[in-house]
Amino acid sequence: MIRRIGLILLLQTLALLAMVAIKQWTLSTGTEILLETQPIDPRSLFGGDYVQLNYAISRLRPAELEGDDTFDREAIYVVLAKGERYWQALSIHHERPEVPPDRVVIKGRVQFVQEGSWNPVTGKQELAKELNVHYGIENYFVPEGEGKALENPKSGEKVEIQVAVDSLGNCGIKGVLINGQPRYRERLF
Amino acid sequence: MSNRFIKQLKGELPFWVERGWVTPGGDRAILEHLAGQEREEGFLVHALAILGVLLLGSGVVTFFAANWSEMAKLAKLAVLLGGLWLAYGAGGLLLARGEHPKTGQALLLLGVILFGANVMLIAQIYHIESHYPDGVLLWAAGALATAFLLPSQPAMAAAIALLTLWTGMESLDFNRVHLGFLPLWALCLPRIQAQGWRFAAHLALIALLLWSLFTFFSLDAPSGLYLVECYALAYLALFLTGMLMETQGAFAPFAPIVKRYAIFAVLAGFYTLTFPQMQSWDRGAGYRAAAPADWVAAILALLVLIALLSLWHRQRTASAQRPGYLLWGQRLIAVGILFLTANLFITGELGGLMALGFNLLFFAGLIWLIVAGRETNEEFLINIAFAFFAFALLSRYFDTFWSLMDRSFFFMGGGLFLLAGGYFLERQRRRLTREMAAQRKGGAA
Repeated sequence: MIRRIGLILLLQTLALLAMVAIKQWTLSTGTEILLETQPIDPRSLFGGDYVQLNYAISRLRPAELEGDDTFDREAIYVVLAKGERYWQALSIHHERPEVPPDRVVIKGRVQFVQEGSWNPVTGKQELAKELNVHYGIENYFVPEGEGKALENPKSGEKVEIQVAVDSLGNCGIKGVLINGQPRYRERLF
Repeated sequence: MSNRFIKQLKGELPFWVERGWVTPGGDRAILEHLAGQEREEGFLVHALAILGVLLLGSGVVTFFAANWSEMAKLAKLAVLLGGLWLAYGAGGLLLARGEHPKTGQALLLLGVILFGANVMLIAQIYHIESHYPDGVLLWAAGALATAFLLPSQPAMAAAIALLTLWTGMESLDFNRVHLGFLPLWALCLPRIQAQGWRFAAHLALIALLLWSLFTFFSLDAPSGLYLVECYALAYLALFLTGMLMETQGAFAPFAPIVKRYAIFAVLAGFYTLTFPQMQSWDRGAGYRAAAPADWVAAILALLVLIALLSLWHRQRTASAQRPGYLLWGQRLIAVGILFLTANLFITGELGGLMALGFNLLFFAGLIWLIVAGRETNEEFLINIAFAFFAFALLSRYFDTFWSLMDRSFFFMGGGLFLLAGGYFLERQRRRLTREMAAQRKGGAA
């Protein structure tokens, strides 16, 4: 009986530690990239104690990018290249493509495909097909009370997210920057 | 030892003494012996232990949720893993010593709950965000490991509930047919059977019914009609499996449970097929066409399975005498199968006619169930037949008179119909079950 209990504890503890180890592997071995955030609701970027993040690469238009054209609710690979400051999407693929060292491939999942969408620049409804993609970096938990302090970013304040992308395309948030200054940094302990 | 069994025994013992099967005074000794066993750790202890565990589990989670930010990551991990080890350790110790086994099982359940809480909290601490049903799957895997290695019925019950939650999320939130549930569900069955876990068996069958429902809502097929046909046949096959289990000693205790859920699902399937709309239209499209080849193949495969199970059952009960109602049951099943097969090749224009046929077949099936319940002294069959009878009559009232009558007359008529029909059906049901009880007592005397 005691041996069996020990075995259960070993299995369950290993499962829990594996969750931490896999994440930590991504953060320590992954290529560091900087992503621009686009608030979902500009009046409430930080909702309570966890932050909901939306990125420029969260909404992709296959017609405007290289790679494959038709997508459903499925896993995809997005090739990113460094722009002036932020990393930007170059192409979308069903299978993981080989890329030169100055580019990274990030794995995401299409949440839904929108047939037409509103363009914030032109202020018009456009018919271009748009993919809404999640990468697993859309939520970030902040300590109690601090989320509220950041709820309304002051005018001109810029929120940037440092992300690590590992060789398999998995990613994780490494840090949160406000106006280029680190506000939160992920550590193992 | 269930209270229901003791209550039943108390009712039966005077007859057994009267017949001379039990010596006078022996009845009291039996009851005292059972009462002594119950006192050791009764239902109340079990219920309170489970309730205590649930309260403790939710208290621990809410305490840490409120004080989370003040702790360092390492301290958080130490608290989470320490709580897990403590719960399992204490539960294992009680079970190993053979003391308070029910409290020991309740502590193991606390361990399972804490494992789930740890998965969620570690995901929060390290910002691990993936396909969220995977977290529930990991939790279910932890519960399954506990159920298999110890063994523990509460852990098995938790595992089945979590697997159901997982498949519900995968099917409904992501709108897809989720077949991954079935192998894991099947994995639970040998353990449930080997340990004689009746509560877990009930839960497993409820989980299968829910999975069927989730699949119905998430299927992007041109018509749900063929899926319902598949369900009716698959659950008929499960009912036959239940009949076969009756003939196998080790499986016999589970046969009534399997048969009850299967007959409920078969009736629900045929009830759905009695609706003219179901027979005529595709979901959101026009008249339905004949069934695509995949559905025809699936239904034919199920028919072959039913034929094989029937033959197997016939072979195992070859020496037994076959009562007349069984023969009628076989004929009804044959007509039902004929209808289901013909329906594959008929298009929506003839849907009304098919619905009429299915209605006749459904009501004939309900009458047969009442007769079968009377013959086999199974009150459940009579109760479920009367319940579906009432549902089907009400549905036909709505179908027929909704568009024909003025709304006020429709509702007044519906009210009267419900009152009179309900009174009549309940009276008939009570008369039948009373007669059966009298027959049982007469038989015992």
